Amino acid sequence: MKLRIKNFILVTILAFVTIGGTTSCGSKKKLAKKEYEAKVAQAKADLNAIIEGTTEWTLEEQKARVEEIEKSDLQNQEIDALIVKAKEVLARELAEAERAAEEERLRKIEEENRAKAESKTSISDYFAIIAAAPDAETANEKINEALNLFASPDVPVLIIVYQMGDIIDFDAPTTAEKYLNYIKDQKSVTVRVNNVKYDDNDKITELELIKK
Amino acid sequence: MKKIFLTLLFGVFLLGNTQAQELSHERKQAVDSLALEKVRDLSKYIKIIGSKETPWSEANRVIDRAEELFAPDAEIGVSSLTTNEVQYYKVRQYLERLMRLNYDRVEIDWYKIEYVSDLQRQPDGTYVGVITVFQTFKGFDKEGRLVYQDTTKKDITVYVKRKETQIGGRLIGFWDVMLGDMRVKETSIK
Repeated sequence: MKLRIKNFILVTILAFVTIGGTTSCGSKKKLAKKEYEAKVAQAKADLNAIIEGTTEWTLEEQKARVEEIEKSDLQNQEIDALIVKAKEVLARELAEAERAAEEERLRKIEEENRAKAESKTSISDYFAIIAAAPDAETANEKINEALNLFASPDVPVLIIVYQMGDIIDFDAPTTAEKYLNYIKDQKSVTVRVNNVKYDDNDKITELELIKK
Repeated sequence: MKKIFLTLLFGVFLLGNTQAQELSHERKQAVDSLALEKVRDLSKYIKIIGSKETPWSEANRVIDRAEELFAPDAEIGVSSLTTNEVQYYKVRQYLERLMRLNYDRVEIDWYKIEYVSDLQRQPDGTYVGVITVFQTFKGFDKEGRLVYQDTTKKDITVYVKRKETQIGGRLIGFWDVMLGDMRVKETSIK
């Protein structure tokens, strides 16, 4: 009798363990499936957002996310197709971003050149201001201001008096300081700026003028 | 036959050489204008130096600039209605005398600045010409009365030579204009 009871308990325990174990394994599978489906759903959502351009991620972040999805190998045809599409979109956008960066770089160069050109104009302006100065004192003040545009008062000033093909005739070379004083003395400007050379500090290192 | 050939060869060489030395009409005009401009520059300098309103430091600076226009040994003639003599001074001496003239106000004007003898090429490559100018001089006393005036015709010899220099690694060809003697030709009351 005792043995029967013992066997019954053992069988019962075994049954519980067996039934309990089977139930646990099923839950795990269910959980894994849910996780997978969630991953797939998230991947689809992210890829679609990238394709449609509705994400707020940076291009680098988008690229990293696509690579992450690709590595996770979700074994889903729809995901694979979306990865291909997303990669195409990203390649286009990266090319566009590079083009925009290049445009920005060129725009900055142009802006710098314009700023330099404006400083060239200001030399011309100084010429006119110095020539029209009412007295020597005012003219000297303007000469000192204008000299700030030059790397030094001894910067060469070249004046083209004749140009035809390869033949260029200059007046005798002078210096920035002497030329500005010359304008003050003559009270007229008979030249226009032809070319200006600058140093790294945007100071004029050579000024080429041409007779009007 | 050999003689004729050599003569022809020499002729061709001479012709080629002359053509290489001659400036085109436009280029020559540019050189003419440049030399004329130097004389006009001088006229402004003379006016500034002579003016009693010019600060001393400015007048001295302008004397330096004016002196640079002349060849080293150039002389300037000075005449007066009171004497028939024309006195010649070194350029700097003349300009310093001009700055110290004993009047309270001085007016100097140059006009009719033009070539009396065109620039002609010399064998050494220098172009030489003569530019004539008329100068009116007026001296006033402290009451503002005109106490002296005359008009002088002066001839200035100009020398122009092509030179070369290196600037910023670039070979620059330039025309160096030098003024020579300034001789008095006529003086009259006007």
